[in-house]
Amino acid sequence: MEIAVIGNQEFILGFRLAGIRKTYPVESDETLVAHINRVLEDPAVGILVLQSGDLKKIPRRLQMTLEESVKPTVITIGAEEGGLSMRERIKRSVGVDLWK
Amino acid sequence: MALRDIKPTRSELINLKKRIALSERGYKILKMKRDGLILEFFKVLEQAKDTRGDLNERYESAQAMMAVANTVEGAIGVKAAAFSVQQEPDIKVASKNIMGVVVPEIESSKVRKGLNERGYGILGTTSVIDETALSFEELVEAIIRSAEIETTMKKLLDEIESTKRRVNALEFKVIPELTEARDFIKMRLDEMEREELFRLKKIKARNV
Repeated sequence: MEIAVIGNQEFILGFRLAGIRKTYPVESDETLVAHINRVLEDPAVGILVLQSGDLKKIPRRLQMTLEESVKPTVITIGAEEGGLSMRERIKRSVGVDLWK
Repeated sequence: MALRDIKPTRSELINLKKRIALSERGYKILKMKRDGLILEFFKVLEQAKDTRGDLNERYESAQAMMAVANTVEGAIGVKAAAFSVQQEPDIKVASKNIMGVVVPEIESSKVRKGLNERGYGILGTTSVIDETALSFEELVEAIIRSAEIETTMKKLLDEIESTKRRVNALEFKVIPELTEARDFIKMRLDEMEREELFRLKKIKARNV
């Protein structure tokens, strides 16, 4: 399985340096959504890496899909928001805010 | 089950008692499963926090290295090096079972590469490029680790949620309704018995 990276030019450049081929540059919000949909449909991708800033730009529905998705697993990196969706889920399932 | 749908017969009572016993047994087992899942979840949670912190740290250092590389080599130089990297990291996904929840076990290989395996010329680039590549390779490793753990966590949370819902449905809906029906039938049967007794007494009194 492969790793896919979606983000701006600078973000994906580093991942190319680490040898990842499936990197998709984002120029506008529309291309961002198109790229995400393409990666979600790609059966070879096991992990999708996103910038946490980009997550706010996509429609709410797609955000939910990404948060729930197990294959591919979506990892957002960047600012602290990374654990936020997880925090919500823990609160909902366990009933206590354990992510601190 | 509404109370008016229940036929107050002895066989119905026996059936209900059986159903109550079954529900209670199921309830106990599900409760144990829920507790077990939550214990597992706590273990994973600690790991998840660690890997998240690790991931953010590595991301920051990788970004910093990238900035240095851009300054030293120029954007074009970095790009040229990046596009010549050929070997792709390979990940394999196996699965393991935690209390009936199938979670992935991700194994990675070929993420870290030696100097001469990266594909760009060693003479044409400075060591800054090598260090940047290394820091990004470490970042990818951290991403793979955290992907495994976060997927495990998501799946465990899903299972906890559904188990919790089942436990609550049994505790607050199914079992109370069944016991209510049982009590109703008992009450009706007792009432009918008393009526019968009274009727007999009346008939006896008339005959005497």
